[in-house]
Amino acid sequence: MQKAKKLRALAVVVPTVLIASLLSGTFTTGATAADSGMGPGPKKKAATFAVGSLIDYTKQPYTPKAYASAAKVKDGTQDCSYHNTSMKDYSGQKITVLAPPPPNMGEPMEQHGAMFAKLTGGKVIVQHVPVGDLYPKQQTAFQTGVSPWDVVVNFSNWIGDFQQYYYDIPTKYTSGNGELASMLPLYKGIYSWNGKTKFFGIDADRHFLKYRTDVIEDPAAAAFYKDKTGKTLEVPKTWAEYNLMASTFNGYKPKGQPAGTAFAGSSEITKRDDLMSTAFINRVAPYAKNPNVKTGFWFDKNMVPQVNNPGFVQGLTDFVASAKYWPQGGGNFGLSDEITSYGRGDSLFSYTWDDAWSQSNQSDSPIVGKVKAAPNPGAEKVWNSETKKWDTPAGGVNRAPYIAWGWSSSIPVASKNKQMALDFLCFFANKANHAIDLTIGRTGVNPSRTEDFTTDFWVKGLGWSTEATQSWIDTMNNYSTAKNRVFDLRVPGNGQFMGAIADGVALALAGQKTPQAALDEVAAKWVEILNTIGKDKVKAAYQNVLKLENS
Amino acid sequence: MTSKFYKRLFLLPGLLLLIAIIIFPLLFTIRVSMANWNVSHSGLDWAGGANWARMFHDVNFWSSLFRLFYFSFITTTLQYILGFTAAMYAWKGFASRRFFRVLWLVPLMTTPSVMAIVWRSIFREDIGAANGLLSKIGIDPIAWSTQIFPATVTITIAEVWQWTPFMFLILLAGLLSLPKEQFLSAEIDGATPWRTFWSITFPLMAPISIGAIIIRLIEASKIFDSIFNLTSAGPGNSTETPAYYLYTRGLREFQISYGATMGLMYLILAILTLTILGQIFARVSKPRGI
Amino acid sequence: MKKILKYSFIFIWSTFVLVPLSWALVTSFKPPAAVNNGATFIPWLQFQPTLDGWKDITGISGYANLFPPLINSATVTFFSTLISLTFGCMAAYGLSRFSYGWKNYKNPDIIFFFISQRIMPPAVLAVPFFILLKTLHLLDTKLGLVLVLTSGLMPIVVWLLVDFFNQLPKEIDEMAMLEGCNPFEAFVRTILPLARPGLTVAGMFAIIFGWNDLFFALVLTFTNVQTLPVAVVALNGTVTPFWTLSASAIFSILPLVGLAFVVERFLSKGGFAGAVR
Repeated sequence: MQKAKKLRALAVVVPTVLIASLLSGTFTTGATAADSGMGPGPKKKAATFAVGSLIDYTKQPYTPKAYASAAKVKDGTQDCSYHNTSMKDYSGQKITVLAPPPPNMGEPMEQHGAMFAKLTGGKVIVQHVPVGDLYPKQQTAFQTGVSPWDVVVNFSNWIGDFQQYYYDIPTKYTSGNGELASMLPLYKGIYSWNGKTKFFGIDADRHFLKYRTDVIEDPAAAAFYKDKTGKTLEVPKTWAEYNLMASTFNGYKPKGQPAGTAFAGSSEITKRDDLMSTAFINRVAPYAKNPNVKTGFWFDKNMVPQVNNPGFVQGLTDFVASAKYWPQGGGNFGLSDEITSYGRGDSLFSYTWDDAWSQSNQSDSPIVGKVKAAPNPGAEKVWNSETKKWDTPAGGVNRAPYIAWGWSSSIPVASKNKQMALDFLCFFANKANHAIDLTIGRTGVNPSRTEDFTTDFWVKGLGWSTEATQSWIDTMNNYSTAKNRVFDLRVPGNGQFMGAIADGVALALAGQKTPQAALDEVAAKWVEILNTIGKDKVKAAYQNVLKLENS
Repeated sequence: MTSKFYKRLFLLPGLLLLIAIIIFPLLFTIRVSMANWNVSHSGLDWAGGANWARMFHDVNFWSSLFRLFYFSFITTTLQYILGFTAAMYAWKGFASRRFFRVLWLVPLMTTPSVMAIVWRSIFREDIGAANGLLSKIGIDPIAWSTQIFPATVTITIAEVWQWTPFMFLILLAGLLSLPKEQFLSAEIDGATPWRTFWSITFPLMAPISIGAIIIRLIEASKIFDSIFNLTSAGPGNSTETPAYYLYTRGLREFQISYGATMGLMYLILAILTLTILGQIFARVSKPRGI
Repeated sequence: MKKILKYSFIFIWSTFVLVPLSWALVTSFKPPAAVNNGATFIPWLQFQPTLDGWKDITGISGYANLFPPLINSATVTFFSTLISLTFGCMAAYGLSRFSYGWKNYKNPDIIFFFISQRIMPPAVLAVPFFILLKTLHLLDTKLGLVLVLTSGLMPIVVWLLVDFFNQLPKEIDEMAMLEGCNPFEAFVRTILPLARPGLTVAGMFAIIFGWNDLFFALVLTFTNVQTLPVAVVALNGTVTPFWTLSASAIFSILPLVGLAFVVERFLSKGGFAGAVR
C-alpha cells in the first residue's frame, strides 16, 4: 500500500515538474538566436575549372529540361566564379537550404546546389515547402530558437519580422569584385535594414503593365475605340484610362486572338489569401503616393493609418469596378491563375510581377510576340494626406510605381556554417549563373544588375523581339530612376497588416461592403495591430520604409 | 492479481500515453492564450484576458462559427444519407457488390490536401473540367467559386466525395455484423423491405450511426483543405470557417496567442455542442428499442 | 421500379466517385499547354499525352522522387497505427467490459475524452507540438511524428472499437475465464480473434488518417523525415503544375487501394456474423 502511494505521488509529481519546466524556463524570454560563428570554412585546393572557360549546363550533375536548352555562358572573373569556387574544398561539410517548390527558385537552388557540391565536394541539401509555408516555417523555428537551415529563401517585405534573425552580408559581396557589386542602388536599398545588408540579392522585382499590341497598336481597334469612347487609343496613362479600355475591349476579338479563347479586359490577382493585396497596392499607389508629402504612404507622422484615406478608397473603387471585365473566374485568381490566364491570351492587360511577361514571351505561348510592357498607370489626381485635399499633379498624371517584393535569400544568424552558405549563395548568383537564370523565365530570377538592362542580352540570348524587349527595359529603367515610388510596408507584422487589407478588399470586391466601409474596417484593424505589436516598434521600423519612399 | 489490476491494465496504458502526449500542448495553449506572443514578440509574458476580450468582439470569428451550421451539419447529413444508402446496397444488394465496395472506398484514401487541388482543376471557371464539359453541351459557364451559392455547392461536392466513404465503411461494417435472427423472422412475417428497414435495420444501426455522425461532425468542423484551395474563403468572407480563420490568423500571420485563444473557445463550444447532441441522440434513439 | 432506383443509384454514385479520379488520371498525362490553355479531355484527340508528369515524381527526370517519402510515410503510419491499435483496443475493451469512474465522470465521459482530442484544429496545436518535440529533441524525427500522430489516431480507434466490443456477448469472456484464463489471456485468446473485423476497420481508419496527415508533418519536420503529403504539396510552385500534382494524387492512393482489397476480404468473409452468433 505504501509503495503504491509513493508510486502514485511520483506519477503526479514527475509530469508536473516536467511540464512546469517546459512552460516556464525555456520560454520566458524571446528566443534570441545565438550567433554560431562562421563555420570551418573551405580548405584550399587546385582549381578544377579553367579560368574563363565556357560553362555547359547540360554537363552539370542536375540538368532540368529548361537548363538543357539554355545557351552556353562564359565564366566570369568575380570572386565566386566557377573557377574561383572550384578552388574551395568543402568536403565533409554540408548546408541545408529552405526553398520554395520548383521551378520558381526551387529549381535553380537544386541545379546550382548540385554543381556547387561537385565543384567543392561539400553537400547541399534543399528542403522545399509550399510558398505560403516559408513564412510560418521560419517564424516557428526562429522564435523558438531552432535553426535547421543555413540558407533560407524569403521575400524582402518580411525584413521587419526577420532582420534580427539574419546575418549581415559582408560588404565585400556587394562592392569591389563582389558578385552583387553591380546591383542597382534601388535594390541594394531594399535588401538592407539600418544600413546593414540582410538579404543576398538573387532576384529583384517590380510590378508593371503588360498589354496586347494587337489591340493597343492596331488601327482597327483604335477606330473601334474612337467610335465607342471618342478617345484616342494609346497605352493607358491612368487607371481610369486602363479601366475604360478594359471595359471597351471586353468581349472584343483582337486580330491575333488564339482560337477558342474569349477576350476580356484585365487579368488580376483577386484571390484573397493569394497575394491579392499586392494588386490592390498597384491600384492605389498613384492616388495615394503624393511626391510632395514626405511623411509617409502607409502612415502619417503620427502613425495614423492612411489605408482609408480618399486616395486608397479611389483605388479600391477602381479595382471593384474592374470586376465587370475580368475573364471567366477572374474573381478567384491567385498569382498562378493570373500568370496562366494572361499567358494564354485571356485579357488585354495585366499588371503585377514579371511572370506573366515571361509566360507570354515563351515560345509555346499562343500570344508570343503580341505583348509589350509599360510602367503601371498613374492617376489624374493624388491625395495629399497633410492638407487633406486632392492635388492635381504636375503634367496631369501622377506616377507612383510599386517596387514589389520578390525572392531573396538570407543566412540565419544561428547557422553553424555561414562561410559555406555565403560561398554557395555567392556561387548561385555569379555572373554566369545569374545570366542563365535570367533567360529561363521559370527560375524566378529577374533583372537587378546594370548589365541586365541591355536589350542585346535578351534579344540574342532568348530570341525575344527587339521592340518588346525595349519596352520592358525602358519600363524597368523608368522605375529605377523614378522619384515617387511605393514600397512594401516593411515593418514587423507586415503579414498582419496585409492580411487585414486582403480581408477588407475581398469584402469590397464581393460587394459585401462599400470600398469606404471596407477600408474603414481595415484602418481600425491596423490600429489594433499597432497596439499589439507596439506603436513605437513599428514607427522605428517605418523610418526604414520612409527612407526608401523619399529617396 | 485482482480484477482491479486488470481493469486498470486495460485502460490506463492507452489513457496515460494519450494524456502524456497532449497535456503539454493543451496547457501551453491555455497559457499562451493569456500572453502576447506574435511576430515581433515571442515568449510567455502576461497579457491577462486581452486576447479573450478581443475574441469576444471579433465579428469574423463568430460569423465563421455560424457558418459551420451549414458546412458541418449539412455535409455530415448528406454524407450519412448517401453513405447509408450505399452501405445498404453494398450489404446485400447485388451480385458484383464486392467490387463496388472497394471502388466506393477509394475517395477516402486520397490525400485531402492534394485532392483539393484536383478539385480546383475541375472547378476552375476558366480552364476547369466542369465548365469545359458544360460548354460542350451548350450551357453557360457557372461561377463555381466566385458567387456565394455555387461556391458553397462546390465545397459541398468536394466534401461529400471525400468523406461519404467514411460513413459508408463504418455503416457497412455495422450492417454486416447485425444478428440475422430478426431479419429471418421479419421475412417470415412477410414484412416489406421498407418496413424491415425502418423497424429493424435502422434502430439496430442507431448506436453505430450516432458514433459515426459524431466523429464526422468533429472532422467536418475542421474543414480546411477544400476551402483553402477552392475559394480562399471567398467570395468576400462567405466561406470562411473557424479552421481557416484560425490558420490565417494563428499560423500565417503568426498571432500565436490569439490563435490559441480562438482555438480554446472553439474547443469549449464544440464540447458543449457535442454533449448536447449526444443527449439528444440518446433520447431519440431509445424509444426505437435500443 | 425498385431495381431502377437501385441500379441508377449504383451507376450515378460510381460515376461520381470515378469522375475526379479519372480527371486526375487524364490530367497526369497532359503537357502544361493542354492544362493551361483550356479544358481538354481526350488524349491523342485533344492533346498529345506525355509521361512528363510521372517522370517528374518518380525521380526519372531528377525533378522529384516520391519513393523515399513513400517509405517515410509507410514507416510513420505503420508505427503510429500499431501503437494506437495496441493501446487503443485494450482501452476500448476495458471501457466496454468494466466500469470506471472518478467522481461524476464515468465510462461515457472517458470515451468522450478520447474522441475530444480530435476537436482542436491542427493549426492551434502546431506550435505547442513544435516546442514539445524541440524539448524532447525529437524534431524532424520519425519517432516524434509517430508520437504526435498517435495522439490523433488512438481516439478514433477507441471510439470505433468500443462499439464493436459492446456487440460481443460477455459470455464469451466468462467462458474463457472459466477455462482458467486470466482476463488478459481471455482478451488476447478469444476476444481479439472475434473482433478481427472491427480491428481491421479501426486499423484502416488509423492508417488512412496517418497516411494523409499533412499538417503536423509539414510543421514538425525539416529535411530528414519528409512524408508523402509534404513531398507532394512541395511540388506546388508559383504556377500550379496540375499535371504533376494529379500524378502524385494517383501515386499516393495506390498503396492504400491495395489495403482496401484486404479490408473488403475481411468484411466479406462473414467474420461479423460469426462473432455474434
